[in-house]
Amino acid sequence: MDLSRRRFLEAAVLTAATAGLTAACGGGSGSSGGKDSKTLKLWYWAGGMSDKVVADAKKHFSDTTLKTSVIGGDFKTKLLTGMKTAQTAPDITGIKGEDIASFLPNANRFLDLNELGMDKLAPEYLSWKLKQATTQDGKLIGFPIDIGPCAVYYREDLFAKAGLPTDPAKVSAELSTWDAFFEAGVELHKAVPKSFLVNNIGAVFSMAVGQGTKRFIDEDNTFIGDQDHIRAAWTTAVKAYTLGIDAKINDNTWNAAVGNGTVATGLGAAWYALDIQNAAPATKGKWRVASLPSGPSNLGGSFLCLPSTCANPEKAFEVVSWILNPENQARGFTDAALFPTAPAAYKLPALTGGDAFFGGQKTIEIFGPAAEKIPAAYEAPADAAVSAAYYNELTAIEAKGKNPEDAWKDAVSQAKQIAQRQGVK
Amino acid sequence: MARYWSQYLAVSPYYLIFSVFMLFPMLYTVYLAFQKWDGIGEMQFVGLQQFRFLWDDPIFWLSLRNTLVIWVLATVPMLFMALVLAVLVNSVRRFTAFYRVALFIPSITSLVAIAIFFGAIFSNNFGLINAILQAMHVSAVPWLSNEWTIKLVIAALMTWQWTGYNAIIYLAGLQAIPSELYEAARMDGAGPVRIFFSITIPLLRPIILFTVVVSTVTGLQSFTEPQVLFGSDASTNPNSGGPGQAGLTTLLYFYHQAFDNNDFGYAAAIVWAFFLLILLIVTINWRLVQRKERRP
Repeated sequence: MDLSRRRFLEAAVLTAATAGLTAACGGGSGSSGGKDSKTLKLWYWAGGMSDKVVADAKKHFSDTTLKTSVIGGDFKTKLLTGMKTAQTAPDITGIKGEDIASFLPNANRFLDLNELGMDKLAPEYLSWKLKQATTQDGKLIGFPIDIGPCAVYYREDLFAKAGLPTDPAKVSAELSTWDAFFEAGVELHKAVPKSFLVNNIGAVFSMAVGQGTKRFIDEDNTFIGDQDHIRAAWTTAVKAYTLGIDAKINDNTWNAAVGNGTVATGLGAAWYALDIQNAAPATKGKWRVASLPSGPSNLGGSFLCLPSTCANPEKAFEVVSWILNPENQARGFTDAALFPTAPAAYKLPALTGGDAFFGGQKTIEIFGPAAEKIPAAYEAPADAAVSAAYYNELTAIEAKGKNPEDAWKDAVSQAKQIAQRQGVK
Repeated sequence: MARYWSQYLAVSPYYLIFSVFMLFPMLYTVYLAFQKWDGIGEMQFVGLQQFRFLWDDPIFWLSLRNTLVIWVLATVPMLFMALVLAVLVNSVRRFTAFYRVALFIPSITSLVAIAIFFGAIFSNNFGLINAILQAMHVSAVPWLSNEWTIKLVIAALMTWQWTGYNAIIYLAGLQAIPSELYEAARMDGAGPVRIFFSITIPLLRPIILFTVVVSTVTGLQSFTEPQVLFGSDASTNPNSGGPGQAGLTTLLYFYHQAFDNNDFGYAAAIVWAFFLLILLIVTINWRLVQRKERRP
């Protein structure tokens, strides 16, 4: 077949016209969706919400079609791409706790939940967690799904072998400071040479920073990562290394290390329990939970947000507040280890029962009080990016034996540079 | 011209897809490299500021050093082994089809799967290699936490994947060498080593040049290997390149800036600086191998 230029041009124009038409139609249907849409798209990641509660929500709101997608891979990147146009954007989306701060400068891309009625519900939820999703001018963009109050997970049998206290209340009381905790680790390592107290010193640093009311950048967008509060957290972390109680596990061998007792304790949030259970089911009954030395800290915990393109804000807020009411949060805890953000849930049977994996211990006695006492710290949009420099240098101490003093200087200078790049003063 | 429209139409899908998915994003990154942009907010023109940051960024230079070391560790043994394998396969008479398929399999296997497999083999405490070492009463090597062994593992992974691919290319080159040349050499009394260096290598030079350039371009772009081996250390510090950042290649650093930190302007600056570097190295490579060819 010989195609003449004219025929080719005709074909090309036709193709272009069709494409244009499709695009135009697509745009039309998106904007005509209006405020009375019957379909709401909900995005979250695997394990980010209780699948059972979500399934119930679909039945409960029979007048609305709730289209849920469990998004795999890099959730934040996919959300950024999805939010480019109204057609592809979800009406309700999960945002991870570590990412929420980086969305705050673009709060105008989300609906203010206070305007939808969250201001009335707020007293039922943890105030420090709401603060994390609130802009400086008081706009709330995230409904808290869960939190990550931190604790010490420890192997009761190994503690017994080393002659350390084994009862959770006693451990919490006697190892109540980092120094006391580390001393116990030295004794433990002496008695059980293959066991170490901490997994890696980055974990200690993360806990210690979370115990403070300030992080790396303050409310005026000034870099404060070189000040005493960060330096103290750094010194605490490095101490675990110099005492030789650091297992230096920075790769995927953690699972095996938990199973064979190389790590005798874990510093982690409430959801960490599920990680230990999955990694080492055979250690069931040997673990206990005690309070974090030197006060509570938070790690992770996510939000549900309504992008400003949401088809039906009132309905969406109704759905979200139903999914995250105290009763359903308690179910989320049993179902997906999501620690409730509504203190009322802490008194419900789902949380007050004993946990067989922890020898029947009522872990809420540790997590509940911790959750309510977590210090509210301002988390700047660039916080996660800036903090990376410290973790990298702490790992360099473990991996290369880098001098801790040099590592501190490098961490601060790199953190400053990242901060500058992100527009921090 | 008019007579060839149908041919142009036939090849056009490639160019259309190329322009939408490769050319446009490429040009867009040039634009992005002069902006500060977090992905959903307003773009802000910052001129050459991103490149000035780049110049002062010790981690960028560290990532360049890592990339170059890993590239040398992977490419040199890879091309050498590929040539040896190709000569061996070329000399066998039976099962040649089987050998060719076997050589090609690693390069079509999913890189992610290979990386997970290598991660398990080289695991510090529970890996196969350390288990064997300990069985032979040799102390275990912390493969995935030592600064140098991390690079070695990544290089080994790349070598494993691409040796067979290059061997197939060499094999094609070997088979294009007329057999009369070999016969004449043998008549003149040349041994196999002499034949290899005086006939095989000189006639294979264009092919070697091709593989060197291709391996440079692909080898410097190592990303998936460290990303899978050391990608998500923790939610607090993802894609940092493993202990001591020894596995942080430039493309992993680029990915980290763009998709973990949402610093898209800076990420664009990183890839453009890196593009210039690859161009420079390829040119040097090309000139080196070219010059040898001119020598009598």
